[in-house]
Amino acid sequence: MSMLERVSKERTRYILFFTSTSVILITLGIIQTLLFEAVAFFSEVANTRGWFSFTVNLSGVASASGLGTLMLAGCAALEWRMRVDPKVLTRMPEKAMLPPKSARYAIVVIALLAWVLIDSFVLRLVLLVVLFMWRRAANVFVLLPNNANKSDRTVLYALIGGAVTVLFFSATKDYGGAFGEFFFTTQWTPTGACADRRALCENMSFGVNSLLLTTIQVAFGALFLAVPLGVGCAIYLSEYASPRLVSVVKPTLELLAGIPSVVYGFFAFIYIGPLVVQFGEYAFAQGWIDAPPNVLNPINGAIVVGVMILPLVASMSEDALRAVPNELREGSLALGATRIETTFRVMIQASLSGILASIILALSRAVGETMAVTLAVGTVAVYTSNMFLPAQTMTAYIAQRVGGDLPFGEIGYMTIFAVGLYLFVITLCLNLLGNKVLSAYREAY
Amino acid sequence: MKKDIDLLKKRNRRRRDLMERAGSTGLALSGFIGLMFLSVLVWQIAVPTFIEGETGQIEPASEFIPVSEYVLKWDHPTVDDDGTLIGDPVVLELTWDDDGTERTHSIAVTVTSERNLREDIVINASGVSTEAVEVGKKTKFYIQSSLGVPVDIHQTSGPVPAADETGSPTVSSFVISADVSVVVDDGRFVSHPLTMVAWLMLVFVVALLSFPMPAVLSAMEAFLNRQATVRYAIYGLAASTLALAGFTLEAWLGAGCWAVSAVGINRTLQGMERLKSQGRDVTQFDRLKHSITNREGVLMWSRMLLVFSTLFIPLLIDVPFLTERYQDIFQPYASGIRSAFFGTIWVMGIAMVVSMPVSIGAAIYLEEYAAPTKTTKLIQALVTNLAGVPSIVFGMFGLAIFVKQSGIGLGLGPSILAAGLTMGVMAMPIIVLASQEALRSVPTSLRESAYGVGCTQWQVTRDHVLPSAMPGIMTGSILAMSRIMGEAAPLVVVGAAALVLFDPEPLAGLLGGNKGFTVIPIQIYFWTSEPEHAWHSMAAAASITLILLLAAMNSVAIVLRQHFRKRLNS
Repeated sequence: MSMLERVSKERTRYILFFTSTSVILITLGIIQTLLFEAVAFFSEVANTRGWFSFTVNLSGVASASGLGTLMLAGCAALEWRMRVDPKVLTRMPEKAMLPPKSARYAIVVIALLAWVLIDSFVLRLVLLVVLFMWRRAANVFVLLPNNANKSDRTVLYALIGGAVTVLFFSATKDYGGAFGEFFFTTQWTPTGACADRRALCENMSFGVNSLLLTTIQVAFGALFLAVPLGVGCAIYLSEYASPRLVSVVKPTLELLAGIPSVVYGFFAFIYIGPLVVQFGEYAFAQGWIDAPPNVLNPINGAIVVGVMILPLVASMSEDALRAVPNELREGSLALGATRIETTFRVMIQASLSGILASIILALSRAVGETMAVTLAVGTVAVYTSNMFLPAQTMTAYIAQRVGGDLPFGEIGYMTIFAVGLYLFVITLCLNLLGNKVLSAYREAY
Repeated sequence: MKKDIDLLKKRNRRRRDLMERAGSTGLALSGFIGLMFLSVLVWQIAVPTFIEGETGQIEPASEFIPVSEYVLKWDHPTVDDDGTLIGDPVVLELTWDDDGTERTHSIAVTVTSERNLREDIVINASGVSTEAVEVGKKTKFYIQSSLGVPVDIHQTSGPVPAADETGSPTVSSFVISADVSVVVDDGRFVSHPLTMVAWLMLVFVVALLSFPMPAVLSAMEAFLNRQATVRYAIYGLAASTLALAGFTLEAWLGAGCWAVSAVGINRTLQGMERLKSQGRDVTQFDRLKHSITNREGVLMWSRMLLVFSTLFIPLLIDVPFLTERYQDIFQPYASGIRSAFFGTIWVMGIAMVVSMPVSIGAAIYLEEYAAPTKTTKLIQALVTNLAGVPSIVFGMFGLAIFVKQSGIGLGLGPSILAAGLTMGVMAMPIIVLASQEALRSVPTSLRESAYGVGCTQWQVTRDHVLPSAMPGIMTGSILAMSRIMGEAAPLVVVGAAALVLFDPEPLAGLLGGNKGFTVIPIQIYFWTSEPEHAWHSMAAAASITLILLLAAMNSVAIVLRQHFRKRLNS
């Protein structure tokens, strides 16, 4: 049978197949447009400033980052040793692996104190990693007879990668060139004080971290609000609430999810902003922050984005909780656990991956949120930890810059695609991770 | 185990009970706080849509500052659309506390066309210097107070918030004012008499299908032998309605009412005929109910059409904010969202036409036809991840592919067509996922029994799977449409304009003409970005309009879902 005959015989099948390939075309189109303009941007910058440059600064190794590198390397060595021969752990005293309760509390308090007192951000992160590795080793220690899962090398690679990265950044400084400037510096002035703003000039600088920091502040601030409220709401709906209450609350959550983001932006602009300013003025009077607050600020954005992603977290977490088989709940209750114990020690443990997936997908939504953030956070790209001052997120930069009707081929037109590609990659990674976790929990039940 | 409940000490048991109560209260509270945000949101949007007059307060004078001043300035000049002055004076009310008794004075401020004419108002212990002042337009004037107490200023009337186009001064009014006339308006029918009859016919059919009276049914028995005549008569009426009332929205709705009534009456007559052939009493509704083909479905569609057409045929709802006024840069309160409203309708229409066939086809392929090959898995993964891509990235895609003319760009310019295509692309993954979910929920037994009687794959899909999955697909599509209706980010990137003073031309991108367009969310965005407070009121009004439109669309989706769920369960 020739190709033509086969196609004509199964005409419908091929028509439907071509409709579904349009999805591939759209994805390719998005990647192509973003990549094309972003590459044009980087090569334009590289023409005058080179691709990547840095100066070696070996004295930096002796700082806190160097210590962090050493600790990370130690963790990596431990992980590798554990993988090769888990029995090495039996030589350790049991008290070190599973300390008594009082010692555990002491360790938590010391860790919290260290977190507050240590000045270096890298060292704080490394501290968390060390604690994580300690518990991981204890896990292996307990499971020793059955042997831990050997095939998973992700942690080892992550540790080695982390150590190398920290070492690199402690030993180098003054990043330049197209990539070095974009990814590792913090000054974002794409218009600069130039005679001709359409072409690249000396005063322009493209340190996207300024935008990235605000994006992270807004997204994690939103999670800070939405996760306790959303997960709490989900638990209450699935474990406690009467069906009648659920039939009222669920449509309300759907309504909350259906309100357009620009309306939330308006809400933030006229209502939340002034409230945050009141708090900020108090903080300024107390001397907690170094500049008077503004109506437009990342806290404002974080609150409003938190309200926006709350329904997403609530409904996805509720689905996860409802997917847990009833036998688990009943078994726990039959053993004499109260409802709150059942909820926190059984239901949440069982649906943890589903709740985690909802949080990751909500984070991705918060990172990509545009209109509310543009109206709430402001349009000044600054790199500051003071969250009461106007700042600019990645999405807000794109929306604000493109609003001025950018002609094709200018440097400004290219920057929005470079920022857009970075944003796309971040959200894509979050989505891939979230969907992977989601499918893992779907397989479990 | 020491944790055994009977071994717990009494103190521990009490603590445990307390934990239980505190925990559940905390969880309920967290849900409650989430819901509270919604009420605060609605309240805060509604508040600015009430226009109040100008208010202010003059600071009290003291030893160091013997006379304190207050500058009066309005956000917007007291001129009408043509730039001529509105003659009505602005009436201010000054109130202060004079040793325990409250003193109130009202002052009429008349604005004249002569510039720089200035007259100040002086307040002292004896009262107000003048009751009426004349000032030139665009001129500052002062209210000076030498009192030791604060003086409140409140505007009671005046042409400033010119919310209605007659220019009549209204203070403290709702921005979205609506005029509703039922059946007659100024002694004339609000719509063509034939469309009124069509609407009444639809009311009759809904009543007939819901709870018929035996008298009506026995009267209908006379038409049993003339079914075809009845049908063609009604279709004829539909055609003449269209011809006589012109091809307006009301006429089309009237024709729709006729057509749905024809279906309803026809089905009823058929049902009666069936009963009669069995030798039963045709006026017995309990039996007739089951004899009418798809009574539930006809009833649902006629009810939906009835609700929709009621908004246009016996009623004349006049909302100038929505359908008549364009933006007015001089008078915020006299602005409207006409161009944005029609822009929204066009963008959604184009997006629907572009995205629905393609995405439903893709869903059918992925669920019904595709073998689990690598290509299928790739497509599936791409769909899932495309649904999570930020909307602004779709806007950049649209900018490069549809708007600009370079490489593979189509060069449509910032037009309605480019916006609709971009939104269509954005809606696609959402519709695909919803349709897949709906197709997956169709039981396999249905497919297998259809294959068992010798259907081909396409016949199974078309005649058995698709009808069962239709409610889910339609609900998903409507929800996707309502999501893109509220989305502004991609259109900011595509290049929606801030000020559009004409109705959008959908094909301007291809044929040339006025390309500028705007949609309601964009209008809200630009109005919120304005510094003047008056524009924020307008943004709030547009927000309320948008939320109401979205609620209307979502309620259609909910009605459909409920109806089909009931049918599937029965």
